[in-house]
Amino acid sequence: MSEPSITQHAFFEQARDGRLIGIKCGGCGALAIPPRELCPDCGRREWSPVPLSGDGEIASFTVIRIAPRGHAGDAPYAIAAVRLTEGVSLLGRVVDIPFDDLAVGRKVRFRPLRILDRTAIAFGPV
Amino acid sequence: MRRVAVIGVGTTKFGKHERTSAELFASAAADALLDADLPASRIQALYYGNVVGGETEKQLHTSPQAASVLGLPAVPTTRFETACASSHSAFRHAVMEVASGTSDVVMVGGAERVLNVPTADSTEYFAYASDAMWEQTLGLTFPGVFALVARAHMHKHGTTEAQMAAVAVKNHKHGVLNPKAQFQKEITLETVLNSPRVADPLKLYDCCPFTDGGAALVLASEEVARRSRRPIWVLASAAASDWMLIGDKRDLSRVPATERAAAAAYRQAGKRPEDVDVVELHDCFTIAEIVATEGLGLFEPGTGGLAAEKGWTSLGGKVPVNPSGGLKAKGHPIGATGAAQICEIVTQLRAEAGPRQVDGARTGLTHTLGGNTATVLVSLFGRE
Repeated sequence: MSEPSITQHAFFEQARDGRLIGIKCGGCGALAIPPRELCPDCGRREWSPVPLSGDGEIASFTVIRIAPRGHAGDAPYAIAAVRLTEGVSLLGRVVDIPFDDLAVGRKVRFRPLRILDRTAIAFGPV
Repeated sequence: MRRVAVIGVGTTKFGKHERTSAELFASAAADALLDADLPASRIQALYYGNVVGGETEKQLHTSPQAASVLGLPAVPTTRFETACASSHSAFRHAVMEVASGTSDVVMVGGAERVLNVPTADSTEYFAYASDAMWEQTLGLTFPGVFALVARAHMHKHGTTEAQMAAVAVKNHKHGVLNPKAQFQKEITLETVLNSPRVADPLKLYDCCPFTDGGAALVLASEEVARRSRRPIWVLASAAASDWMLIGDKRDLSRVPATERAAAAAYRQAGKRPEDVDVVELHDCFTIAEIVATEGLGLFEPGTGGLAAEKGWTSLGGKVPVNPSGGLKAKGHPIGATGAAQICEIVTQLRAEAGPRQVDGARTGLTHTLGGNTATVLVSLFGRE
């Protein structure tokens, strides 16, 4: 059991191809986003990968206008904390939704995005 | 465990400096020794906070460097890094060293130099306190983190941008009374509300500035402290953490680490929130002060904005918060901030704060938050 069920690297490889993978605890059924070694609820080390729908709603959001040096060319851009229907949350860029249409509770869907040559989480309209 | 007291404090002026962070610390530390009326030879260890020295000064190994520049090359030193809470983390561990009987006199301090690099660079370095793969990749900034907190708080409690602006107006008003503050100028609600947007809904005047500065204090055992002029006793020092990723935080309108650290500190000290007379807390952004006043139990959840608007947290109010001007007006040299907050509370409890003195203050609290709300420290202090 010393090999993690899904590494961060593997998560982003899957995400690049449009698939979101969570991990489910074999002990208590808790769901989490990898990487995580121990279940914070029951302490076991029995994760197995489960597919996530990628559908969720915005829990909070912001529009970044002063960006770090590496992202300055992208600004302004929106970032949202999204609660997926399965109950876990992810932070991602929001794309293809006008800033004025952003709202807590708005439904969004996962899509992969390349930022600075890396795979990143993003959400767009359903 | 032995009782521990702060017997000397010192800070540099906050703002832009042409000195290295080690020089800034050393200057504050020499002032703290003078204030403690102790020779440097009595110091047995240095606990030091510094965050982005590796980036802005291309300098690691900053704790022995800081000790060397002070002129104290032989004592054991350790650098702490918990983002903006670094020197408060250093403080908590130093308290344990003295309380345990390992040492009788210990120096705590911190320093930061950031105004020697452009804002786009410092914004990037501060973002390193968020997760590299999950959050930095997105271009999440430090204001962005608190913008998410602000939006969640507004949605859940109806907190307004004007209430957040009231925090900035109040802390600038206090800053006018602090000769070491970076900003000593009053601002109006309109100034805040009309300032350029940084990370919606936060505007420029909702944000603390980038700051160079240093702070230091001398901790002593009860036996040593009894012979000092004005010991201020450490009643509690507690730390707590929360999930690193924003996605793992269940309710962005709250900072659970603040609630956990505060509960532990009140328990250690045998105090309650209503016993606290004066507070220095982590107002890196105006919303951060609102959420902290709630998490510390000073106001009910959801009423922190109202408290700021009504003046309950102003000097002369129910519980004065950030009489120094806070991070917002005094400035936020991140590695020095926790120590600087303690210096202010010690000054207040000694009744030496001049025009910004909270009358009759007997119990004080400091609260320091690290980065993306994953680290919080809370300490309590009292007069004899």
